[in-house]
Amino acid sequence: MEDLMKHLAQAKPPAPEVDPERMERDLARIIAMPRPAKVRTSLRRFGPVLVAAAVIALAVMLLPRPGPTVQPAAAPQRWHVLTQEWELMIVGEPANPYTVMLSATKERWAAADRQFDVFQKNGEVTPFSPDDEAKWEAAGKPSTAPQLGGHGSVRIGPMQLGVRRIDAPESNPFAGLPADPVELRKTLQTITGDNGSQDSLTYRTAMLAMQMTTANVRDDQRRAAFELIKTLDGVRLLGQTQLRDGRSGIGVAIPAPPTFQFTGFETQLVVNPETGLPMVKRNVLTAPQHGLPVNTPIFEELYLLLERTTIDPILPQGVTVNGNVESPIIER
Amino acid sequence: MEDFSAVYRECYPRVLAYAASNAGPRLAEDITSETFTIAWRKLDQMPPNALPWLLGIARNLVRAARRQTWHDELTDVASDDDYAVIELRAALATLSEADQEVLTLIAWHGLVATEAALVLGCTTATFFVRLHRARRRLRAALSTSNFDRARESWKTS
Repeated sequence: MEDLMKHLAQAKPPAPEVDPERMERDLARIIAMPRPAKVRTSLRRFGPVLVAAAVIALAVMLLPRPGPTVQPAAAPQRWHVLTQEWELMIVGEPANPYTVMLSATKERWAAADRQFDVFQKNGEVTPFSPDDEAKWEAAGKPSTAPQLGGHGSVRIGPMQLGVRRIDAPESNPFAGLPADPVELRKTLQTITGDNGSQDSLTYRTAMLAMQMTTANVRDDQRRAAFELIKTLDGVRLLGQTQLRDGRSGIGVAIPAPPTFQFTGFETQLVVNPETGLPMVKRNVLTAPQHGLPVNTPIFEELYLLLERTTIDPILPQGVTVNGNVESPIIER
Repeated sequence: MEDFSAVYRECYPRVLAYAASNAGPRLAEDITSETFTIAWRKLDQMPPNALPWLLGIARNLVRAARRQTWHDELTDVASDDDYAVIELRAALATLSEADQEVLTLIAWHGLVATEAALVLGCTTATFFVRLHRARRRLRAALSTSNFDRARESWKTS
């Protein structure tokens, strides 16, 4: 049963013949009917865009390539990941800042020969709260707003959908890593030891391990990545943790280095205890900032699907693959 | 009006095919005609990519028709197809209406996930989850012994 959807397409019932006479007769009848006088307005809103991606740059490229004998068991045709991302950003004039939320869906179809990334899907930048919306409106509903404390501006409105194709992608860098937490910790610390980052070695190791939980690896490797995070200095065990959609899992949290907008926050990873698969990774405030209370997620990556699949990538139509895609973050 | 006529002529065959596969050929033309009548009345709401919106209207009309008619009267389909196709359709018919809808919007009506989500009034993410589950259930339905022959024929085709 190689491709169920293709076979299902072949089982489509025969399309009925169009009766041109009936079709034109109906059209003439319909357009002769009165309709509300309101002029049609196009719903197409060409706007700016982007994507959030404000996480930490990771040294994935430094990871050793897996040897031929350590591929995951029963190698899948594709690794399919569907995520929903949210990120908060403070924008506007320093005297009257407000918060906007960048939200978008991201999807990856990764195979050995080709990888597709669909990004900024259903993407949008909007004022975060009614109060933020009021401030944005008071500022004249600008289409772009300067980042507070930053050098860029944020485009407010819908994001532009993008599709990226990578031929002959790098092989899965996590596939050959140890499944023993102690060994895995040593390996990841070696890899992240000298990557030029200002972040602590502990945080870099945690980020890499968190990324490994989302990769196409064996279950024992995934569990080892989660277990090793628990052993890192400063990591806090969250125990049973509720997600916003009502689901719950077990989580860990590690203090995060400051960004140009936020200082007191931690990075949390919540996994499904039964499958070991990650459910959400998020940055959560540990101190109130910019009018946002403690425990506000300022970045969230919700994992909707992480699966091995044999179906062909489902890509949006009408989008130029590897075309220019505008980012919602632009130079000022 | 030119816009509407162009959309009408472009989308009519696909709306008709959708109506036929969901309500049967007997009601398909009437549902299609009513779909475009409603679309004309709501022309100011018609998005640039009108097909998902039109199929959403057609979907409501199909459901209304189903409430008034026995399901069997709606879905009689000529069957001079090969055994594998018949078996696949039979497996599909064992799924819930919601699962069938998710699968056929993609496989039969050629929509991409974003468009299918618009038809169903859900988010794309939700649609993907529903598609994933529906696919799994169809696969499970085909795993019963009744459908072994269908699978065998695919392997050899």
